[in-house]
Amino acid sequence: MATPIPTVTAGDRPAPAAAAPAGPPTRRRIRFRPGVRHGFLLLAAFVWLLPVLWMVSMALTPNDVQQREPVGLLPDGLTWSNFADVFQLGLMLRWFGNSVVVTTAATVLTVAVCAMAGYAFAKLRFTGRRLLFAVVIAGLMVPREAMFVPLFLMFSDTGQQNTYQALFLPRVAFPLGVFIMTQFFSRVPDEYEEAARVDGAGPLRVFWSIMLPLARPAMASLAIFTFVLTWNDYLWPLVIATEQEMFTVTTGLASLQSNFAAATEIGSLMARGLIGSLPLVVLFLLFQRQLIRGITLGSGEK
Amino acid sequence: MAVTATTPPPSTVLAAPRTPRRSGRRRGDIAIALFFLAPFLAVYGLFVVWPVLQAGRMSFYDWDLLGYTREFTGFDNYRRMLWGTSMTWDLSHLAGLRAVVLAATAALVVRSVRRRARPLSTVGTGAAGLLAAALLGVHPGPGGGWNDPGFWTSVRHTAEFTAISTPILIGLGLAMALALRGQHRGTAFYRAAFFLPYVLPVSAVTLIWSFLLNPDRGLVAGGLQRLGIEPIAWLSDPQLAMWGIIATTVWWSVGLNLVLFLAGLQDIDPSLYEAASLDGAGAWHRFRHVTVPGLRHVTVLVAVTQLIASFQIFGQVYIMTRGGPGDATRVVIQHIYEAGFRNLQLGYAAAISLVFFLLMALVSAIQFRLTAREA
Repeated sequence: MATPIPTVTAGDRPAPAAAAPAGPPTRRRIRFRPGVRHGFLLLAAFVWLLPVLWMVSMALTPNDVQQREPVGLLPDGLTWSNFADVFQLGLMLRWFGNSVVVTTAATVLTVAVCAMAGYAFAKLRFTGRRLLFAVVIAGLMVPREAMFVPLFLMFSDTGQQNTYQALFLPRVAFPLGVFIMTQFFSRVPDEYEEAARVDGAGPLRVFWSIMLPLARPAMASLAIFTFVLTWNDYLWPLVIATEQEMFTVTTGLASLQSNFAAATEIGSLMARGLIGSLPLVVLFLLFQRQLIRGITLGSGEK
Repeated sequence: MAVTATTPPPSTVLAAPRTPRRSGRRRGDIAIALFFLAPFLAVYGLFVVWPVLQAGRMSFYDWDLLGYTREFTGFDNYRRMLWGTSMTWDLSHLAGLRAVVLAATAALVVRSVRRRARPLSTVGTGAAGLLAAALLGVHPGPGGGWNDPGFWTSVRHTAEFTAISTPILIGLGLAMALALRGQHRGTAFYRAAFFLPYVLPVSAVTLIWSFLLNPDRGLVAGGLQRLGIEPIAWLSDPQLAMWGIIATTVWWSVGLNLVLFLAGLQDIDPSLYEAASLDGAGAWHRFRHVTVPGLRHVTVLVAVTQLIASFQIFGQVYIMTRGGPGDATRVVIQHIYEAGFRNLQLGYAAAISLVFFLLMALVSAIQFRLTAREA
């Protein structure tokens, strides 16, 4: 009865050349002919992405057309003006900027803080290490969404509502990140560190010039994971940023939907939704592998 | 949406063999460790640990957001949340749910007896289950009512949402993963297509789905009309609004489960399939006797992650329906939010948060037990 030990995929090991392990070969089984399989999956993927395609279509259709009739999957009277509106009207650009600032700060700080803590837990021997680690792991049980009341009070009592630091600081306390980094560092062979110490390098130097470069893949996964979660945060920004100028993309877009005028400017609304999601979609397309690895690492599964 | 609030057993990460301590360096090591740990411990203590303690304190106060009342009221907040007038107990109240609780308790007890768990934990599990089943029979009698009916409404909706969406999200995620497994050409593309909605902000998702489900202009109504079905006002019908929310949630977040299941499938040793095939096992048998046991751990993980995420549903509901029509989709987080920031009763909001937190910690603890014994 071994406990399930989270393992790290080959891509996470320090050795840079390792490739992702191959899945079980299923070709030997007689299944659908490949053409049928592809046809089916393509159809399913198309249906799955229909809502997004429809959103694009609406964003490209002029607002006045949409007031007369519903738009189908193909835009009706192609226009770019809805996208131009995003840059000229309303606070969308400001929210976008807020999200960029908050998300970037949260990501950089989270990765730095979690990498340091992960290194200490995995590689340094000190009294109380196990106890402290258990305390951090217990933090995984604290639902982020549930403790916003005392957290709000803490920031409002110190007059920090509607500030950037109030938006990103609580995000940095991310026990899952420490878990991911500890898991990674504990798989780095001790020889690396010992060799460097023999050469006279102190722990700081070992961390900076040996551990951090090795940890790049794990840090990339953690970074992209944090970025997505922070950009999409809804409840906390809703609570702590009450001035329109301090909304993030997520709360800003939500505020537009409760606005009654939304019904007359569907095109611009959809364009705003697309622009607000764009960084994540681009990031996802570029770093899909890292994001998915971050998720599987974070689940303790892989 | 909190994605992965699961609790991996701490021992797994620190299980690496420990090098013997060199006592001469120990003091220096503590200082260095503190240096590396200090930033995290600071934010952790401030933004995770302290809020929980503070919520505990606040829950005993009448703590007003604006009026500066801060009066110690003992258990008043808890009484308001969990109690009512002319309370009674009977055997038949919520009989179905209680039967489920009893069955689950029995299963857990049998399991720990079989695995020769410590008697204390077996007895504890059994006692906790019986107590829960007994407590569920408490309810306001005729002429009475809950002190805060809105709380119970929100609990019921959250439970309904969780009970319906979790099996769908797990089943669909597994089905997708099974369809996509293996090294076929194009797998990465399909995975990306199904996973993509997960990276969208909740408010972009609700933006699309509010319009999709719109009876006058939505694609869903348009499609149904072609089949001769009258447009349905999903989000403004109290019977259907929750289904609209569930559909939105499934589309948004099933990609996460897909990815986790795919990772789990990759971990199953291919030779097991080969051995099964050599023994003449058909596709169903291979699925039943190789895939299902191989995915056991991932399934527990996905189920708990999903359960915890579902309990915390808020954004979709709050943006799409504001908990309406009427109270038809009101959920717990919304109740906390409105208790605190609309009714300005932070003490009461903190009390609900804390109970909610304990409930989720309990789910995590059960998961911990299950996975620790698993495999």
